[in-house]
Amino acid sequence: MRHPLVPLQLQLLAIGVLVAFISWVIHLIRHHRLSVRDSLLWLLSTIAALVATVFPISLQWIASALGIAVPSNAVFALAFVYVLLNLLASTITLSGNAARIRRIAQECTLLRAELDALRARVERGGGGCT
Amino acid sequence: MRVLVIVPALNEAMSIASVIDSLRRNAPGCDVAVVDDGSTDGTAAIAASLDVVVLRSPINLGIGGAVQTGYLWARERGYDVAVQIDGDGQHEPRYIAVALALVERGEADLVVGSRFIEAGGFRSTALRRAGIRYLSWLLRLRCGARVTDPTSGFRVAGRRALELFADHYPSDYPEPESIAMAVRTGLRVREVAVRMRQREHGRSSINVLRTVYYLAKVSMALMLLPARARPAAAKDGVASS
Repeated sequence: MRHPLVPLQLQLLAIGVLVAFISWVIHLIRHHRLSVRDSLLWLLSTIAALVATVFPISLQWIASALGIAVPSNAVFALAFVYVLLNLLASTITLSGNAARIRRIAQECTLLRAELDALRARVERGGGGCT
Repeated sequence: MRVLVIVPALNEAMSIASVIDSLRRNAPGCDVAVVDDGSTDGTAAIAASLDVVVLRSPINLGIGGAVQTGYLWARERGYDVAVQIDGDGQHEPRYIAVALALVERGEADLVVGSRFIEAGGFRSTALRRAGIRYLSWLLRLRCGARVTDPTSGFRVAGRRALELFADHYPSDYPEPESIAMAVRTGLRVREVAVRMRQREHGRSSINVLRTVYYLAKVSMALMLLPARARPAAAKDGVASS
């Protein structure tokens, strides 16, 4: 084997960090603070990073496939794309939630008005038709 | 025809009473629903004491969400026509009758009150007028809508427009986009001449920076419009949010 792409010490540190990250995500899922659906992208991308850390040679393949001379630049490029993807995914979720909140607030408003009308009718001692 | 006047209001405690009073005098046959978009100055209480329906939003939704609440109420209560008029007193209810007549005669599905058809009244700053001209040009370019005052919040919506807006209404700065939606759904949009007044109390919620954001946001919304699902498709069984 040629000289290692990544020093063993650094490799172990990176593996440690990634494993900790994955366990944290799993912890969040198990305690219902993160849905499986929303965590998929994080888990997949972190596992990919883990594979690349354990087998640094895979990075060289990727770099040459992409036509990038230095593998570390390939890492930066991929990491950037990965963060962008995750960000876009959460923004999409955010937009969806904003629409849902709006709809729910409107429904609350309508129900409250309905309730006001009913209460007014009851207090008037009526109960007849409008 | 049953007509509901939707009055979106955010902190309009100073003017809401005179707006409602003017509505009573100028549009006596219409029911009034004030949509309180989370006011903190007692707007809702004043409106409620004047014996109109008050739709109180638990959170601030912005003008788009507030107005849509009104359309949802109109649809649920089976109104035929919904009139939209600002709670700050800049729109004069005496113009409702003319616009209403167009809808009632079946000559239009959506009537927009324009302050640029006839001279007079409050017409905003030169910068904003330029922005409005640009928007009306863009609207004509994108969907062939011929409106001179696309940002006007004075409008009368017939049953079809009412249903459309209850289902779909843009969020912030919704007026030009909602006209484009109406035109693309096949509704007939017309304009009538109105005079507007400078708001009676408080400040307009639009400053220079917001004007720029307004133009950018609305331009983008109008450019992207064709790529979005056509609202008409929603009626063919496809649920849409």
